[in-house]
Amino acid sequence: MFKLQRLFLLCVATFGSAMPGSLEAAPDFEKDVAPILEAKCLFCHDADTKKGKFDLSSRDAAFSHGSIGDLIGIVSGPEPQMPKKEVPLTEAQVKILADWIAAGAPWPADRTLVYNPQRDLDWWSLRPIKEGMIDESTLSGRNPVDYFIEQKLAEKGLKPVGEAEPAVLIRRLSYDLTGLPPTPDEVAAFEAESIQNRGAGAAQSAIQNLTDRLLASPAFGEKFAQHWLDLARYAETHGYDKDKPRNNAWPYRDYVISSFNEDKSYARFVQEQVAGDILFPGDPEGVVALGFLAAGPWDFIGHWEVGEGKLDGRIAKHLDRDEMISATFNAFQSSTVHCAQCHHHKFDPIRMEDYYRLHAVFAAVDRADRVYAGLPPDRERERLELTSRINSLKNEKSKLEGDLKKLVAEKASGVDRRIEELKTQHGADELKPQYGFHSQITKKNDEEKWVQLDLGQSAPVAEIRLRPAYDDFAGIGGGFGFPLRYRVEISNEAEFKSGMVIVHDATDRDQANPRTAPITIPTEGRAFRFVRLTATKLAERKDDYILALAEIEVIAAAEAEAVNLAKAATVTSKDSIESGDRWRKTNLVDGIYHRELSDDKALAELHALQGERRAIEESLRSPKSVARLEAIGKELAPLEEQLKTFPQGELVYAAATRFTQGGSFRPTDGKPRAIHVLHRGDLTAPGEAVSPGVPPLWSGISEEFPELAGETWDEGTARAALAAYLVRDDNPLVWRSIANRLWQWTFGAPLVGTPNDFGRGGMEPTHPELLDYLAATLRNDPDKSLKSIVRLLVTSEAYRRSVAHDEANAAIDGGNTTLWRANRRRLSAEEFRDSVLTVSGKLDRKVGGKPFQDFVIEKPEHSPHYQYHLHDPNDPAAHRRTIYRFVVRSQPQPMLTTLDCADPSMSVPERDESTTALQALTQWNNRFVEAMAIHFADRLRREAPDTAEEKVDLACRLAIGRLPTPEERPVLVGHLKVHGEESFARVVMNLNAFVYVE
Amino acid sequence: MKTDSPTLSNRRQFLGTLAGSFSGLALTDMLARDGVLSGVLHAPPRAKRVIQLFMAGAASHVDTFDHKPLLKQKDGDPWDPGETVELFQSTPGACFNSPWAFKPYGKSGKMLSEVVAPLGEVVDDIAFVHNVVGKTGVHSQGTLLQSTGFTFPGFPSAGSWVSYALGSESENLPSFVVLPDHRGLASNGSKNWANAFLPARHQGTVIRPGSVTPIADLVAPASRFINPQNDRAGLDALSQLNSLHALSHPGDDRLSARVRSYELAAAMQLSATDALDLSREPDYIKTLYGLAPEGPGVDDTTINEKAESEFFGRKCLVARRLLERGVRFVQIWSGNDNGFPRRNWDSHEDINRDHGPLALGMARGTSGLIKDLKQRGMLDDTIILWTTEFGRMPCSQGSKGRDHNPFVFTNWLCGGGIKGGTYGESDEWGFRPQDRAHSSSVYDIHATVLHQLGINHERLSVRNNGIDRRLTDVHGHVLRDMIA
Repeated sequence: MFKLQRLFLLCVATFGSAMPGSLEAAPDFEKDVAPILEAKCLFCHDADTKKGKFDLSSRDAAFSHGSIGDLIGIVSGPEPQMPKKEVPLTEAQVKILADWIAAGAPWPADRTLVYNPQRDLDWWSLRPIKEGMIDESTLSGRNPVDYFIEQKLAEKGLKPVGEAEPAVLIRRLSYDLTGLPPTPDEVAAFEAESIQNRGAGAAQSAIQNLTDRLLASPAFGEKFAQHWLDLARYAETHGYDKDKPRNNAWPYRDYVISSFNEDKSYARFVQEQVAGDILFPGDPEGVVALGFLAAGPWDFIGHWEVGEGKLDGRIAKHLDRDEMISATFNAFQSSTVHCAQCHHHKFDPIRMEDYYRLHAVFAAVDRADRVYAGLPPDRERERLELTSRINSLKNEKSKLEGDLKKLVAEKASGVDRRIEELKTQHGADELKPQYGFHSQITKKNDEEKWVQLDLGQSAPVAEIRLRPAYDDFAGIGGGFGFPLRYRVEISNEAEFKSGMVIVHDATDRDQANPRTAPITIPTEGRAFRFVRLTATKLAERKDDYILALAEIEVIAAAEAEAVNLAKAATVTSKDSIESGDRWRKTNLVDGIYHRELSDDKALAELHALQGERRAIEESLRSPKSVARLEAIGKELAPLEEQLKTFPQGELVYAAATRFTQGGSFRPTDGKPRAIHVLHRGDLTAPGEAVSPGVPPLWSGISEEFPELAGETWDEGTARAALAAYLVRDDNPLVWRSIANRLWQWTFGAPLVGTPNDFGRGGMEPTHPELLDYLAATLRNDPDKSLKSIVRLLVTSEAYRRSVAHDEANAAIDGGNTTLWRANRRRLSAEEFRDSVLTVSGKLDRKVGGKPFQDFVIEKPEHSPHYQYHLHDPNDPAAHRRTIYRFVVRSQPQPMLTTLDCADPSMSVPERDESTTALQALTQWNNRFVEAMAIHFADRLRREAPDTAEEKVDLACRLAIGRLPTPEERPVLVGHLKVHGEESFARVVMNLNAFVYVE
Repeated sequence: MKTDSPTLSNRRQFLGTLAGSFSGLALTDMLARDGVLSGVLHAPPRAKRVIQLFMAGAASHVDTFDHKPLLKQKDGDPWDPGETVELFQSTPGACFNSPWAFKPYGKSGKMLSEVVAPLGEVVDDIAFVHNVVGKTGVHSQGTLLQSTGFTFPGFPSAGSWVSYALGSESENLPSFVVLPDHRGLASNGSKNWANAFLPARHQGTVIRPGSVTPIADLVAPASRFINPQNDRAGLDALSQLNSLHALSHPGDDRLSARVRSYELAAAMQLSATDALDLSREPDYIKTLYGLAPEGPGVDDTTINEKAESEFFGRKCLVARRLLERGVRFVQIWSGNDNGFPRRNWDSHEDINRDHGPLALGMARGTSGLIKDLKQRGMLDDTIILWTTEFGRMPCSQGSKGRDHNPFVFTNWLCGGGIKGGTYGESDEWGFRPQDRAHSSSVYDIHATVLHQLGINHERLSVRNNGIDRRLTDVHGHVLRDMIA
């Protein structure tokens, strides 16, 4: 039958003529056929992509080489070839296409197709959460978790293994809920309680008590926060180039820990992390929680050095928002909206517009330090307003200055090149210690300062030469301290009160810096005794102002050779710094000035070029911008003084719209950046503008926030609306997402194997009803208590099973998806490190606060090098729980990384559990393990002083939660006796029984 | 591998015997050396292994491999490419001729700059791609693009992908080894060899040839209690205890795999130590690679030619020894991150000062490597890929430096079934591709490398957070013209 159709279509393709149709009404191209092709084929076979050189975008293209002939054969059958890696066409859809082909495949000539998937909400995770699957009254006290688990086991004919031994159980529960091993006393007490209460389901009460104790321990938050920080891609450096530290990131880490410990409502936890500042004003946690949005990598160079004025900077900003969006939807919704950046989502009902609407939600935020406490709200507002005014003045200033600099660089590039060549070809004279004259330093640039010469007697003068000073201080070099505005006067009266003549007036506008080129002022043979230079606008030194000059020369008139009358002059000035050899009044007439080039001819050329450059710069300055710059300077100074009067407050690195700007990194002050749908994600191909909204991932949700439509919007309202969307009762994703994670964090493997992707590209739940039961229970709980769910899970029989192997069960369900036994798991990287510290007796249980560093920073000023090998493993500051370490992105902690620690570049829903030779090397040879072996050995000698057997028993109870077996004991005792406690301790910390939890 | 040296075969046999005693153990794939495509390659391979040479900081194409006579003609004139150019740091300065002379080399007469002259002797084996276009002028993003195919972190390095696909030829050495610059790591640090969402065994293992501890944790640290006797005895005890544990807990391969991992670790100690021991390399080989007589102690307070040759040459020689021992992918770095004084190829201030010694050192080591691989018959199935995050502009920055040029730059390939020649030209300035509609990208380069390894770049994918990810993203065409 397919062959026949192929033949049919080939005819169509070849002749392009309509064939007589079937008797039934042929499907309508527009209504029936086009939607199928657009949704199912055009992703790969549009005019741009033409996968396999096959283009279905128009009639001409589709029929041009006859390849459409195989269409039905390709899309039908039990394992259709197409669509590739996608949900196959339904039978009804195949029939429509077949009927259409049978009817001669009519296709209007001007109708072109584009990829346009249907919003198909018919998928397990998008349907409403099911309720009422269980009649609670029939449970008669049994845990509902077991009801669902056993149902599945029975279905598959599996018989679960028995309960784990109490010692195994307390070790498991302690690690799962706190990440730490139980103490030997805790193990003994729990064993006793379990045995005492044995029978009549009373072991249940022992486990209830233990669960309550562990959930109430501060270590619970520390353990669960680590799971969340993996999802939140939390680290304390920016990543990318230079990888600068984020010294105020840690309050977010503490916020996550305390949220778990306080059993904060999950709805509130979600809302705070997206819009806490808007929804809970005045609550410091609402600000700290925004550390979530900022926790991922940030491109310092793209934002700070390049900036949004350039395409690379705008790309960096776009990627930055994409990062926030991906993290938000991965973590809270287990969905992958970021797939819709270049095209509509291939699997899920997320269109490009939906994705860019989310860009609009975050269009005004950046990542920066912001105050969360220690500054009253009204004072903070005042400070932010002040900061914002200062920022805008500074921006204007740097724009005006930058524009000029750019113009000059363009016009003077030939001159600059020659200057550099001269400097390369000819070395400079050695810089002599006598620099020249230097006034006192002032904070104001409009303070008048003067310096003058008394020639001793009046004499006719041809010209006056000013030689600028040279000092590399603050990178200034030539022209150091040379005034921006000044005048030169001559007189025969020392006070310059009468009879003076202005011979050079440069007070009307800022002068370009002459570098070391002398300024020559002709005086036409006039006779005078005194010459005075008055600066009316001083040069900037480093946030302060001065007048400095190397030399003033007064060249006598009517002499054959230049005679400098100033050589014997007396110098007076308004003030002078008089500092050592370098700066003295007398240096102004000592004939010593810095020669940038030792060759006279070259020096003359250099000075000419410097003069040329000065002329270029001055010709390019507009009086308007000069006036504006002056006005800005006047306004800025008092504002900056005022800013200093505010206390700094407590800072957290978080999403922010107002912050102190630096480099090209500037706050939006809450004004959203314009957002467009980008063709194929390309910033140079913007499509229509969008306003904030959300993907309508379940029915009853509209994609736009109607109150925020239009060209601009209130950014806080947009984030608050996103937060409201996330925690809606009818949101089927958010509750399922966290229920699945809680299961994963206790049972070791999730119910949905792709915890960050509940879409069609991900996996389906092994126990859909159980997942919905947990999701609904959490949602319906007014307290939205995570601890309640955790308690429910760990007190189930399923959780308490042993890890015992069973051949018959394994043959049916080797992967243990049905939970016929418990999952053995390896200690996570953090648990390994914390356990080594615990058994060695060195763990410092200090909670919260600034992170410890287990590295030494070298070259901090530019690109910090984080050198772990230089850190002393015996540094007690680093003996805290691993969650309190300073997390570096570019150079992650080597031991933890080898042990499969999460990579903070991305949201990590599940840790790898690899077994490699490099891990063996790390656990055996790492300096930290070696150092802790010594402490562990000391502890054994201290607490079990008598026999080797006693030491072995203690070590095993500490490290593996049990005594050694009769087979293990002789090996352990033997090694300890021959090789000592330290070597023995090293062996114990490498045992399988130590690194695995059963 | 037909070129195994006799010593290597002996070592294989020796380690084979060692491993033999554990052959009865069931192992998880975690420890297996196979990759996902072992035995099921998409096509017959032309190459088995890769060396990636990465010039951190952005090496200038117009001062090395891409000769532009027009720059000499117009030197010092205002530069007018006929469009507005937005540069990373500066506004475009005047046309700037290379400080170095170019000369033809080889049968092809390929023009090379005097700072890469040592490569003249092997230039006919090299396939130059002068029309590579990047996506960004930002170092971190450009470096990630060339190392992982993406401009932001979170993606596996090319070496990780190759390791994932092909596995290792030796279980005693990691399949992907990184030899960083002796001064430190480039932009993005270890993200340039991260496994990201691939299993951890595919991350690049850092080896620092010539340093006190070339591989972290390879041997016991300086310790007041560890000695060879208790180290050996400890491992024996551990093996007994962990084997007992595995036996009493059946049905879980991981437990025995972990026992085995300590055996492999011991074998790796031998194998890696041997690979890094250059003492038995004859002097003519050391000279071939440009090693300094004083070895890694050579003075390196400022960038200088002798030190660059020593450090880069040593990495090239170690790379050859690693490849001989079954390592699949070696990534060699020239240049540290951005700092002052310059310690990489980011010559904004002075091309002559940094590019001179860096290029000569790189060219000596690389030329030695190519010749050595060739004389051992290994060049036939080893691909060398030379890359950098982007190129540098034909105009000057300041008067002696060049700003970033992501609009066009050079990559080159050599060996592994690649035919020498020039494939893709830049325009007369070296500013953009000559044919803008037909430029090359890192995706094409990676697609070609994978192709030579027998891998279809479109079919090597892993799903992560909802997307099937590839080294070549959704792009890439095999550069078929350069395939011999």
